[in-house]
Amino acid sequence: MIKKENIQAKVKAKDWSDAIQIAGRLLEISESATHRYTKAMITAVKDLGPYMVITPNFAFVHAAPSEEVKKNDVALITLDKPVLFGSRNDPVYIIMAICSKDGKSHMNSLAQIANILMQENTIAKLIEAKNVEEIFNIFEKK
Amino acid sequence: MEDIKIQTVCGFGCGSSLLLRMNIEEVLKENNLKATVFCGDLGTCLSQPCDAIFISEELWSRIEGRTTVTIVPIKNFMDKKEITTKTMEFMNSLN
Repeated sequence: MIKKENIQAKVKAKDWSDAIQIAGRLLEISESATHRYTKAMITAVKDLGPYMVITPNFAFVHAAPSEEVKKNDVALITLDKPVLFGSRNDPVYIIMAICSKDGKSHMNSLAQIANILMQENTIAKLIEAKNVEEIFNIFEKK
Repeated sequence: MEDIKIQTVCGFGCGSSLLLRMNIEEVLKENNLKATVFCGDLGTCLSQPCDAIFISEELWSRIEGRTTVTIVPIKNFMDKKEITTKTMEFMNSLN
């Protein structure tokens, strides 16, 4: 569901924008989106406020579909120390960054990920996960 | 009766609104209720005909007072309990 190369555990981030930068970098390295897309995600939080912290401890960040997206993809990082977005759902330990080419074709993979996130203890398990392998397995286990 | 339309709204209409849409659809299905749920973005949501807008509490203030459509603010997009309560409240308000 999420490629191992697109996961990092216990990352050190200075603040929320640094954290998005790190997650966006994974999408850039996978050649799924450009650096301009990463910057657009940061701008989106600045413009629209911290609504992307959709559930306690978890930010779901993305920018609008555009030609800066080369393919649909997802990256996930967990933080060593949480950052604040200014949301009621702060502090944030987990950043999931997605990029979508057209706003629609990523639906199926997103639905699978959502199913796992909806399970009650997924967020806690992600925060506790010590390494990439553990995070990867949380999403692979049915 | 005409089809009930619920619009879920986020910044771009393809991220968190999609998650919210899937969660509302699940609640409707579990309760044997029927409604069309579709995603919208903040910029255009007010010109999309619908019966209710489900939106994050943090974006709510941007559309508050600008529409006669029922607006339902959501605190936690992944909280099944909150989404169930608010979806059922809205569906019951139609009777």
